[in-house]
Parts: sequence; structure tokens; C-alpha cells
Amino acid sequence: MGTTFLPVASLVTGVGGRDGWMSVLPGFAVGIPYSLMILSLSEQYPRKNLLQISEAVFGKWIGKSLGFYYTLIVVYLGGLLLGQIGDIYQASTMPVTPLWVFFLGGIFLVLFLIKSGIEVFARFSEVVFPLIVIALLLNVGLSVPRIEQGELLPILSEGFKPIFLGATKVIPFVMTYMLFLAGIIAFLPTGKQELSQLKTGVWRIIFLVGILDTFVVLIQLLIFGPAETIRIVYGLLVLGKLVEVSRTVAGVESLFLGVWLSAAVIKIGSLFYAVIWGLESVFGLKGVNWRHAIAVVFLGIAFRFVRGPSLIIEIGLVDEYLIMPFVSLWIPILWGVSRWKRGAGI
Amino acid sequence: MKTDRSKEQKFILILTVFACLLFLTGCWGKKEVEDLAPLLGIGFDVGEKPGTFLITQQFARPKKDSSTGSEIEDRTFSIEASSSREAFEKLSKVTYRTPFMGSLKVIIFSEDVAKAGGFNNMLDFAQRYAEFRRSMYLVLAKGKAQDILNLKLRSGLIPAMAIKSNIEGGDEISIFPTVRLGHYLTILGTKSTAPILPVVESVKSGEDMEYKADAKNEAGEIRIQSAGVMRGDNLADFLTDEETKGYMWLENDVIHRLINTVDLEENSVKFGGQVLESRTKYKVKTNNEKKELQYQIKTSIAIDEILGLKKQLSGPEWVELVKEAEKDFAKVIEKECESSIKKQRELGLDFLGIGRHIEQKNSAYWKTIKDQWEEEIADFSVSIEVKVTIHHSGMSSSSATNLVGEGQD
Repeated sequence: MGTTFLPVASLVTGVGGRDGWMSVLPGFAVGIPYSLMILSLSEQYPRKNLLQISEAVFGKWIGKSLGFYYTLIVVYLGGLLLGQIGDIYQASTMPVTPLWVFFLGGIFLVLFLIKSGIEVFARFSEVVFPLIVIALLLNVGLSVPRIEQGELLPILSEGFKPIFLGATKVIPFVMTYMLFLAGIIAFLPTGKQELSQLKTGVWRIIFLVGILDTFVVLIQLLIFGPAETIRIVYGLLVLGKLVEVSRTVAGVESLFLGVWLSAAVIKIGSLFYAVIWGLESVFGLKGVNWRHAIAVVFLGIAFRFVRGPSLIIEIGLVDEYLIMPFVSLWIPILWGVSRWKRGAGI
Repeated sequence: MKTDRSKEQKFILILTVFACLLFLTGCWGKKEVEDLAPLLGIGFDVGEKPGTFLITQQFARPKKDSSTGSEIEDRTFSIEASSSREAFEKLSKVTYRTPFMGSLKVIIFSEDVAKAGGFNNMLDFAQRYAEFRRSMYLVLAKGKAQDILNLKLRSGLIPAMAIKSNIEGGDEISIFPTVRLGHYLTILGTKSTAPILPVVESVKSGEDMEYKADAKNEAGEIRIQSAGVMRGDNLADFLTDEETKGYMWLENDVIHRLINTVDLEENSVKFGGQVLESRTKYKVKTNNEKKELQYQIKTSIAIDEILGLKKQLSGPEWVELVKEAEKDFAKVIEKECESSIKKQRELGLDFLGIGRHIEQKNSAYWKTIKDQWEEEIADFSVSIEVKVTIHHSGMSSSSATNLVGEGQD
């Protein structure tokens, strides 16, 4: 799920207008064939990640080049997202706290999770995910009294084009998840029954996240209208400020922000793991010192983008122009070539 | 190997504790509640120097001799500045408390500021700075905003809080629009709809009502009535009370209303009542090859006052009277709506959001007229269909009457 729920409304409404909310689920659904291809490759090459499989399928140098690019983009995005923690907190609730506090705090949490191992990381995600879902549902549900009349209408006045355009903004998020899945498959069981469970899990989680993010976009559209949804940088944070129960409970946005922080830590942690796997696969670099080096690089990137607007634009560019084209081609080609090779007996 | 691992664990643990200390104390942005000055209202007037505003800020401070501990007094400052931030900077030089914007309830724009433009510039701080909430109310002031915020109200309420309470109790009478900052910004985003803001004014004794004022010639009461229509960044005109009431019906904003037929000349029996519920729907239909927006208002009313009823009614007469009341109330509602539509045509401003309604119901047609919508407003056909249902006529079927000949006309 990552932190997609923060920028998704502004992005899809920006290109899809009033109908942008309908593009979220189809955009996420693109992840299903990609996930199934990755699981199919995992079945064929058990206990190997996609970088190792690429080397086996395409040969050493192409595989290493792909791995190098993979490592570069995950380290860059990870650093940018670390920077985004600072941007979110400073812009919304802690305006005078220095950015380095957020960067260091965030990277320490990530390092601690990484240090504890992939299983603890998975357990942490397992615990935090329901909290994120509950917080999202509460935020959406408690914002209902603020809905403006008729903001949803007209529906499909521009045909299906907005859905297609909106989906192009959601697909980069899905492709980022594929980067993590590409690495973590080496740790997943490859038995027939487990693979079948994993495939079912893929369908389930993609639809769950897709539906949740659809709600997040929909509620912002209904409350802010399309023009405001596009203009507000972090619409969900503004919604959090609007939550008021019986004119008594208000100002609970900090509670929501705490949950969003854990979501960000999971996403940065997953990218941190992706960097570790990249370094191991491409350069054979392992060990604690390299982890600390990665943390320093993450911090360096975060400090490089202390200017909020530049950071947000850069994340968009990385998602759209570095990650999406790469993953959308790499995985199908790898899967296709591997199937062809198996068929041809090479 | 084991020692290395344990050292590393210790190191990370220390770093995590350090991070927690940094995060959890809130040391950078920490402010004790007694060091905060909760902002309740801001008023904008035109400043004396060109390009400046007279910005009035009303803060709450706890009452020293309060028996409950929850009573507050106001601390109000007026500062001439060219931006909100400049005003807060000047204010910080004289106050020892830090202004807290999260408690802001109402922003008041004087008539002159609204007419002069630059309205949206003044709102930018409120929509951008994270401490503010979009749920605050916006109002226009007849006269100066500073005068409104400096009123000594007979109720003892701070003016900003009195305005907030009046607005929040507005559902009972539904005669003025409730405009929060978020709603205003959403309307701005539609482009075709002209924003509308409720009007607040002070009421001196003798102006519509009389009361025993604390000081001679000074207003001790506050009233929200009617609304102002914006053209872009400027106030275009004020609506009358009747036009605003029409707006409320057409916008489906009537929750409850107190309504009477006293102004209807054709009937000798007059009714007063309370709207229990109301629903306004609209549809775009074609009439003689011309498009038309039809409003359908369905409302339920309880009669609680009948004037001019001179005899005791039989059962069938009672039913007839109620049917007559339904027609009369419908006429009043129609009249209010028509006056609002007439005003919209005169101004050439779509404050009723008719363009948005057309877009919602027939987007294909809207695309053909949206570019020349401003010219279309004056001629676009609108019809109103009102259906009133009287739920009951109160606790009695007839009014109390004397015997014939004893004081009867």
C-alpha cells in the first residue's frame, strides 16, 4: 500500500478530472498480471530474486546492467520518500522542527526494522496494515458530514478517457511495489499450495488497496471538488484537520499522521531491502557496513531535496519516467523470454 | 561475531531511543497551552494607506474571576498591514502569547474590503497555513469588520463566538447560507458559480427591535441576515432577505424554517408555521425545443399560528383550511424563489449554481453553452414547482373565538 493514499487523489484528479476516482481500481488491477508473472518466474527459479533470474535468462552483463539500474532507482526513490516524511510533517503539524529530525528519526526506524530481519519487517507490516486501514476508514467516514452537494456529478461526461489517463498515474505506484516483489520472491515458498495461496493473496490485496484508495480519492472529490482536490498537496492531511465529532473532538490529525508515518517507514524499508538485494546481486556487497552506507545515501538524497515542491516533482518524475517504463517492460520481457527458453529447451 | 552483533544491537537501540526522544518531546514546536492565545475571529477592513488592510484579531483569554474556569474574555487588536503575516508580526511585538490559529471560528470581511477586491489574497493565509482549519466560517460585514468585533454584546458573548453560535443555530431558521472556508474554495473551483457569503450586522435598539441598551447609541446585539454575491474577487451586490430565502430553497439548504403568509394579500386568513423538512430537486427538460431547468421543491410544514379565523370549524372545513394553507405557503415559497432568480438575472451572476445543475444533469448540453454562460444567465428558462404538505395544525383545529356579536368584526 505504501503511502499512495497521500498523493493519489491530486494525481488522478489532475488528469482525469471529476471521473479520476474511477481510475484507481483499474490502475491497481494492472498489478495483477505483473504479480502473477513474478510468481510464475519464482516457480521456475525457486529462491532467486528477479535480478538473479535476469542474469540467468539474459546473461551476466545484461542481468548486471538491469540490476544496476534497479539499485539506482530504488535507492533514489527511497531517499526521496525519506525526504517526504520531513515535508509532510513540517508542512502540516511540526512547522519549526528541523528537517534532519524527521530524516534521522525515519532512517533509524527503517534501520532498526532492517536489522531485525525480513520476518520481523513482515510482522511489523502485518500489525501496522490494519491500523492504516482503520485510520483511513475513520478519516474517510468522519469526513462524510463535510460532503458538498453534487460534486460527483456528472459521471463519465468525458467518456472513458479520464479513467485511462488517471490509471497512468496509478500504475507507477503499482510498478514500485513490483520492484519490492521482484526482490522478496527469493524469500517466498515455491510449493504448489503456497504459490496458489500467494496468487490468491495478490488478487485480494490489490483489490483491497485499490478499493481503499478509491474511497480516499472519492471522499476528497466529494468534499473539495475537483479543482481543490488537484490544488491541495496532501488532501488526506487536510481531511484529517476537518474531522470533528459532535463539535467536541477535533484536532486529531496528529493521530492520523502517526499512522501515515508507519506506512512511510514500511515503504522506505521495502525500498531499503530492495537496495540491499540489488547490491548483493549485482556487486556481491553484503554486511552491516553496507547497510549503514545505504542509510547515509538515503539521508544524502533526502538532504539534497529540502525544497518541498522540488521533492514532490522529483518523486513524480522518478515514478513516471524511471520506474514505470523500466518495470512495465522488464518483467513481461523477462517472463516471455524465460517461457520461450523453457519451451525451446535452451 | 556474537559480540559484534550485540554491539550493533546496542548501537541501534541507543539511536532509536535518541530518535524517540527527539520525536516524542516535541521540543521544537512545543508550546504550553497557557502560552497560546487562541484566535477566535479575524476582521478585514480597508486600511488608510493604499494597499493596506486594517486587520482586527480577536483572541480569547480566560476570565480571571470565572467561577467555572471555562469563561473567556476577548482581547482584540486592530493593526494596519498589507498582509496577514505582517499583521501577526506587528501583533507579536505587543503580546507575550503565541497566536494559535487552529481555534479560529470566523473571518469577517467588511463591505468596503469586499468591494475593493483582493478578497482571495486575504484568504490565502487561511487556506495555506496548516494551523487553520477549512471549517471556519466566512461572513461579510455591513459596515466595518472592526466595529463588529469590538461590539460589547448584551449577551456577554465575544462577537466572534456570537457569530459562530448564530451560524451554527442557523439550521433552525435557514434564512442565510452557511459558508465555511472549504465550501467557498470549492465554489470558486467551479468557475461558473458565483460565491455567496452571509452578512452580519450590528443591531442598535430601535432598528427592527428595541431593547434596553447598556450604552446610549451603541449596538448591543448582532444579526446575520441576507447575503452578498461575489463577482470574482469583488462584492457585486447584496441580496435582500427575501432573495436570500429564495436562494436557500433553490439550493436545497432549508433544514427548518419559520414561515408565514402574512404578506399574501389575496386571503384574509393568514398562516404561520414551521418547516419540518424540505427537499429541492432539479432537472433539465426541453420545453418548446428550449432547455429549461425545473426546480421541484417538496416541503412539509406544521401550522402553529392562524390569524383572521373567525369561527369554529367543522371537520371538513378544517381539512379545507389546511389545503388552503398548503397553497398559500407554496405561493410564499414560489415568490421567494422567483425574487432570487430575478436577482440572478439582473446581476448576470450565477450565484444559484444553475450552470452547475445543468452540467450535472445534462453535461453534453452544458458543453455547448458553458463558454457563453454569463450571457445566457439572463435568459435561461427556469421554472419552479412547489409542493407543500401540511403535517398538522398544532394542538387545535380552530382558533379561539368569541360568540358572534361580542367583539367580532
